[in-house]
Amino acid sequence: MDYPLIVDIFFLLLATLAVVSGWRVFCTDSMVRASFFLLVSFIAVGVIMILLTAEYLGVAMFFMMAVEMMVMAIFMVMFMMNPAGLNPMMMVHQHKFSIAAGVAIFVVLGGVALLSEFPDNPLPADLDPVASLGNELLGDSMLIFESAGIVLLTTMIGVVVLSSHRGRYGAAEEGSMPPGLEPGGDPAGMPEEGDEGGHHHCH
Amino acid sequence: MIVNELILPVILVTIVLVVGAYLVAVIDGMIAAALGTPQRGGAWLAPLTQGAWLLTQQANATEAPDWRAWRLAPALYLALAATGLAVVPFSPTLIPTDLVTSVVLWGSVEALATVVIFLHGWSANTLLALIGAYRYVALGLSYILISMFVLIGVALPAESLQFSQVVASQEGLWNVIRQPLGLPLFLIVGLGMTFWGPFNLADSRDLAGGTASTVSGPSRLVWELARAAMLVAFSGVAASAFLGGWLGPWLPGPLWVMLKMLGVLAVLLLLGRLLPRVQPERCVTLMWVVLLPLSFVDLIWAGVEALL
Amino acid sequence: MTLATLLLLAAALIGIGFYGALSQQSFVMLMMGLELILNGVMLAAVAFWALSGAGAPEGQLLTIVVMAVMAIEMAMGFALVVAVFRTKQADVTEGITGLKH
Repeated sequence: MDYPLIVDIFFLLLATLAVVSGWRVFCTDSMVRASFFLLVSFIAVGVIMILLTAEYLGVAMFFMMAVEMMVMAIFMVMFMMNPAGLNPMMMVHQHKFSIAAGVAIFVVLGGVALLSEFPDNPLPADLDPVASLGNELLGDSMLIFESAGIVLLTTMIGVVVLSSHRGRYGAAEEGSMPPGLEPGGDPAGMPEEGDEGGHHHCH
Repeated sequence: MIVNELILPVILVTIVLVVGAYLVAVIDGMIAAALGTPQRGGAWLAPLTQGAWLLTQQANATEAPDWRAWRLAPALYLALAATGLAVVPFSPTLIPTDLVTSVVLWGSVEALATVVIFLHGWSANTLLALIGAYRYVALGLSYILISMFVLIGVALPAESLQFSQVVASQEGLWNVIRQPLGLPLFLIVGLGMTFWGPFNLADSRDLAGGTASTVSGPSRLVWELARAAMLVAFSGVAASAFLGGWLGPWLPGPLWVMLKMLGVLAVLLLLGRLLPRVQPERCVTLMWVVLLPLSFVDLIWAGVEALL
Repeated sequence: MTLATLLLLAAALIGIGFYGALSQQSFVMLMMGLELILNGVMLAAVAFWALSGAGAPEGQLLTIVVMAVMAIEMAMGFALVVAVFRTKQADVTEGITGLKH
């Protein structure tokens, strides 16, 4: 299927944006920034989906990922010692192996994309993608769709159980301590007895 | 083709956005003067002098902000307002972006606005701005949910997610009468997502300006302009979702859309001046316990009506 | 924009995601890697739907299912992180080596 030149240009720009922002996720100093880089990557992919005439999926990508990354940013701030990104941050393990694995996966999948023969069946001209998706969701694949809904509900219940304050053995945060600055050190950010001001670990 | 599909929509959206934002400031000043708040200068000139004054001011700097995000956030909010206005149909043929899922696109504008407002407060690296940002995130989710349910209710009789179809489906009866709960709920969402008047919790006085507390100069001007522009875009969406958009006797369609937008804006600004600010905790309760169930009722109402 | 270039982009996203998921110590960053992988998967699904599957509606359905999986993955992931943090005060993967035994 041939697209007009302008579509190709936009695709190239968006593909670059998606890959660059996806890569920046793992080499920026602040986790909040990282989650918003990921959001940019998702938005770029969403626009590419709209270019492919999957109008509902592309737009759904925007609002799903906007909310998801917002929540992610909040969790980042909760769990990071360096949420503002004022200090350099590089928390990795098995770095060389991971780079090699990432490159290997790209090469293998890229090879599959370039070398194998896929059938060339473009969209029929009279197809309405949104209506076709709606008919599928509430028609033939209703069971799958509804199961996804049930699984989401189960997830909600499970998440509340896992993270709720009251458990079988009393309040969940009882005896909970923030981690020390060095392994095995004193808990950070806890005000000392009689020390009104306290000291925080994230200035 | 390129004139009709690219240049004309861009010009239309820009003009409506700029003129609309100016009118928001003018109407707000007039309402304030009528309610007895002393105003400096005339209502027509005051926004311009204020804007010119902000332009000449020096841009503030805080300690180690995230410069790129801080400077970009107001512009991004303005871009979101433009995106939102671009889905509003001005007549059956004059539609800047006639996406088949434009109702969902407006929903994602609301979701992305949460991100941008958080970014604006977070990147300044100051305390009050961050509190304002967190407040908006805590509330933003409930705004998105309410508006989503209300808009699904509008899409039901139209059997389409396209605003032009939504307007066309109101030929016989406007949605404001067909679904009486819809417009009031949607107006509350509008005040919330532009943090205007009673729902101004992100940029409120008790936080010394909240996310905008440390912003001055041109970027402050862009931020205020973007808030007003978002209110304009919102009024356009409300006019086409509930007030029948271009439908109306005697006058041409685009004029009707503008008049309805002005009406929605006047109501919103009056509400913004008349109602006191809600406490953040109470606002969360109000949204989740009262307004969200009401939006369910609205959706059920719309569904039953579509079946009958 | 051909099927090959779209799949190449998806492969790049999946590769970066794999790198992130394998290399990051923090749980939350690890989840970002997983999300990036799913991003590539969704793009590939839509590309196949549009250019190779003649618009079979199941292609779009697959993307919706992946989106649901993402939401589930994130919610469960965060709940587990909260639970682990409360008991072990750990927010990096090395903090729960006890799970190996």
